[in-house]
Amino acid sequence: MIQLQGVSKVYRVGPVKVTALDGVSLEIEKGEFTVLAGPSGSGKTTLLRLLYRDEVPTEGEIRVAGFDVTGMRRSRIPHLRRAVGVVFQDAKLLPARNVYDNVAFVLRVLGTPRREITPRVMQTLKAVGISARAQALPAQLSQGEQQRAALARALIKEPALLLADEPTGNLDEAIGEEILDLLRDIWTRGTTILLATHRATLADQLKRRTLVLDGGRLLKDEA
Amino acid sequence: MLFFLIGEALRDLRRGGRVAVSAVLLITLSLTALGAFWVLSLNLGRALVQWRDRFRVVVYLREEPPAGQVDGLLRKIEGVGGIQRLRYVSKGQALQALRRQIGGQASVVAELPANPLPASVEVTPAGPAMTPEGTRALIQRLSALAEVEEVQGGTAWVEWLAQLQGLLQAIGLSLGAVLALAAILTATTATTLVLHARREEMDIMRLVGASEMVIRLPLLLQGLIQGFVGAAMAVGGLYGVYRLALPTLEPLLSFTLGLPRATFFAPAEIAVLVGGGGLLGALGGLMAKGVRPA
Repeated sequence: MIQLQGVSKVYRVGPVKVTALDGVSLEIEKGEFTVLAGPSGSGKTTLLRLLYRDEVPTEGEIRVAGFDVTGMRRSRIPHLRRAVGVVFQDAKLLPARNVYDNVAFVLRVLGTPRREITPRVMQTLKAVGISARAQALPAQLSQGEQQRAALARALIKEPALLLADEPTGNLDEAIGEEILDLLRDIWTRGTTILLATHRATLADQLKRRTLVLDGGRLLKDEA
Repeated sequence: MLFFLIGEALRDLRRGGRVAVSAVLLITLSLTALGAFWVLSLNLGRALVQWRDRFRVVVYLREEPPAGQVDGLLRKIEGVGGIQRLRYVSKGQALQALRRQIGGQASVVAELPANPLPASVEVTPAGPAMTPEGTRALIQRLSALAEVEEVQGGTAWVEWLAQLQGLLQAIGLSLGAVLALAAILTATTATTLVLHARREEMDIMRLVGASEMVIRLPLLLQGLIQGFVGAAMAVGGLYGVYRLALPTLEPLLSFTLGLPRATFFAPAEIAVLVGGGGLLGALGGLMAKGVRPA
């Protein structure tokens, strides 16, 4: 599902070069649940952004869900992103739209026939346990509910790969646990998951394959 | 998908608020100015065609030629060149024409001791001679003929009308162009404001795999809607003024230019104006900064 070969990413700020990733090579199979661990600034977010082509690597090759991400033409990027769901630490919901519309928005922009939208949205909201809050605006939701809505938005297009960047970072432990349970649920239904976290305990708790990044280098790959 | 895109465009227009309204008003103003000069020019153009068609040089003869010599005289006149067609008017025909013209006072003509009107030849100049210089040269050539007493005619009036039409077109186009530029810039500003308001939404659209066309089309549609609304208001306003001014305008046009009635735009011309409005708005939408992904 994911292959990285000698991937580096260097940001240039004037004369200063900042290396965010340094020669990272890894492979993640379809259907795996992998944790990407490391302290803040270790390069986790950069790696995720490279995977959905929000950034271009300075060096190396990347393949995601059958797409050659490195040499990808701009016009092909939407095709990659339809195969990849992304959730962030902050839910990034559209504040003026209710939960239903936030999720339905994805199907609308992807040209899904209108008659299919409502059943699919309600089914997905039910799957993440937030169907009762469909008419609520993001500001009326708890942070846990917001993250569930963000997950619903990422999952509505049935992606083969889900990238989760610190999805429990803003949540207290109990709510964070609920989101992790939800991610496990999603994984058991066949979605490949790459979860980035700075919490070492979380990686231990999940007991899944863990990739440890530090200073932009891949230090460990523990099954 | 189309409903969604139109819905997004309308939503963007609401977000554009006063700037979007200003863009619509500027488009209305520019097309009203352009349209007003256009419709004036159209009517003036019709008058010109009519005047050019009616234009004659009248050659008054020293003496009325005997019936058997008329054809020979006409051939001689035609021989000076630059003539499209010509018609002989005898003294009798001239008197009859005068009677028709004065209508109620025709009895005055009957009291004349003799027919004072000269025989004449009405000459329609050929195309190249229909200019002031061409007509002057033709008049000179005709005046040189021994049988000719006097030649009357000139295109100065017609040419003045043509110049006025050209001037109206130039003023209309210049004013319209300046206002159109202002309208495009305002539509661009309105769309740029919307872009900033939509930034989060566009980020999400890109994140979930929407194509650039789907992301940009609402902006284009927003501009198009602004343009069409502005153009429709301009055409409506012009038509309203035309209908209001018609009772005063028509006698004036008839008296000064000889036009029996003033005309408004034909459907095709209205389509051009409305299409122009749409184009102005769409250009504004396309030129908005930040449309392309960073």
